[in-house]
Amino acid sequence: MSDRSESDRLVKESRFERLIRRPEIGSFIVMIVIIVALAFASDFKAFNALGLKNNIAIIAQYGIIATGAAALMIAGEFDLSIGSMIGFAGMSMAMMLKWGLPFGLGEATPMSAFFLTLIMTLGIGWLIGTIVVRSGLSSFIVTLAFLFLMRGVTEVSFRVINKSTQISGLQDFKETSWFADILGGRVFGWFYDIWFALGGNLNRRGEQWVDGFDARFMWWLIIVGVAWFIMGRTQLGNWIYATGDDKEAARANGVPIDRVKVGLFMFTAFCATMFAACQVFDTNTSDAAKGNLMELFAIAIAVVGGTLMTGGFGSIIGVAFGAITVGLVANAVFFIPSIDGAWFRVFLGAILLAAVFANERIRKRITGGI
Amino acid sequence: MATPYLCVEKLVKKFGPFTALGGVDLEVYPGEVHALLGDNGAGKSTLIKTLAGVHQPTSGQIYIEGNPVTFRSPRDASAAGIGTVYQDLALNQLMSVTRNFFMGRELKSSFGRLRMNEMNQIAHDEMLKIGIDFSDPTQTVGTMSGGQRQTLAIARAIYFGARVLILDEPTSALGQKQQMGVLKTIKRVRKRGDIAVIFITHNEIHSQLVADRYTFLALGQVIGAGTKESLAHDEIRRLMAGGAEMRDLEQELAEV
Repeated sequence: MSDRSESDRLVKESRFERLIRRPEIGSFIVMIVIIVALAFASDFKAFNALGLKNNIAIIAQYGIIATGAAALMIAGEFDLSIGSMIGFAGMSMAMMLKWGLPFGLGEATPMSAFFLTLIMTLGIGWLIGTIVVRSGLSSFIVTLAFLFLMRGVTEVSFRVINKSTQISGLQDFKETSWFADILGGRVFGWFYDIWFALGGNLNRRGEQWVDGFDARFMWWLIIVGVAWFIMGRTQLGNWIYATGDDKEAARANGVPIDRVKVGLFMFTAFCATMFAACQVFDTNTSDAAKGNLMELFAIAIAVVGGTLMTGGFGSIIGVAFGAITVGLVANAVFFIPSIDGAWFRVFLGAILLAAVFANERIRKRITGGI
Repeated sequence: MATPYLCVEKLVKKFGPFTALGGVDLEVYPGEVHALLGDNGAGKSTLIKTLAGVHQPTSGQIYIEGNPVTFRSPRDASAAGIGTVYQDLALNQLMSVTRNFFMGRELKSSFGRLRMNEMNQIAHDEMLKIGIDFSDPTQTVGTMSGGQRQTLAIARAIYFGARVLILDEPTSALGQKQQMGVLKTIKRVRKRGDIAVIFITHNEIHSQLVADRYTFLALGQVIGAGTKESLAHDEIRRLMAGGAEMRDLEQELAEV
């Protein structure tokens, strides 16, 4: 018998081979292409002081919910209720701020409105997750039910209490409440200050043009940072991947897969609530239709970011790249007025299809084509 | 004679009207390989699932080192030192060797952070001990061969304190050479002397290569048992066929 053993056949990969095997590589390349293409097509307007701020505003919105959707998809489940959850959370906060806390608890502050809403949305997330794991039904159908249910509840509540499905003209809570300010105000002003100091960031009158990013940029970075750390570096992350890869194998090894899933449904509800809170305190308005179709954007971005539809594989950083790509293209029409805005959907459809094929190839490669 | 580590007395398991196990006795000694043989439907799976705490016996008693025990869950059985390696191996293909090795029992520091380097080192060392030098424990399990996966699952069970290692048909669905690799692994585990192996198989040749003791099941009952020395080759073959004479089977086949 020869001295060769089976393990000799598996050579250690070079650094480059490891790099191209990473789940975020595809979305990274697409992102770079889009950034460069948009920069030239918009004559660099997309990345001037205001362009950057506006682009990052939408990127952060997409990124917040896509991070939640991706973490849940890695654990093997879907959440179609994200969009309705955004509408529900926004309605809840705006109504409390306008009409006071429920049960005659008096005037609402931004903080009490936010946390009461968060308790409700986390509760609904817990309920959705519990129904999914207890019944063994597909999360697709359970969350589809909640998509309709919560959109309906949102509209009905608006009509019953507010007589209208919109709230506008709330007072600007950012001026009086630090809590509203960290959700809806401006962040990273130093970035624009430095830009101004360096001679850029000027408006027509030669004054400082933009004074900061929307606060949701900071929340997006926080959510991505925490999710990235948890998914890649912690026991919980290991459990999330294991749950989505082969849940019976995970269960046999003592991973509490039901608790992992319920927790992730609560996480998507949290992300939707953050999305809504940033919107409400930024614009001081709310509308029953807010967040419409966002669940599908979140899933599409997760897939573009390299998350497998079947679970067990994906990257939070890849999804951040996906959010940047999709966000830039969604906003492109503002910087390149000659194009029809509907091309955004054509692009999203095409890139989604390409991503699904690419992800499948990556999956085959890491499993050795099995 | 040393006391058996695991002893089963008159184990009965009924699923409604169906008697899966009808009073099974089994003794398993450390440092020995105990082959559990029987045809499909003989009750092998039910027996090991009962030992692993997945099923609760209808009647009968399981003893660990002479003490009666009751397993309410797989966790109980695992805590009592019973490590089961199922046919599907309970491995996650898309995850790395190390992450699979420590799945559900990760080494962690504050905030649940994984001690990845330490875990990589342990996974590598433990697999080397029972025979494969897997140079890169960060590779995904999907890239491993069937035999290597089997070894990973066995190494994992041993590392996490298995005193009785139940191997559910570890050689099925493998190529010849890999089958021999798994048998070598079983021999290495046996050589340690402190672990009892229950080796479930369909393959009489494999059982003869590694087993010290046999139990034959048919229709939920033990139809023969004994040490390797006390059983003749023909006897083993006869019992493998569920007690039927091989000649009779050959006859039946010829008539078709």
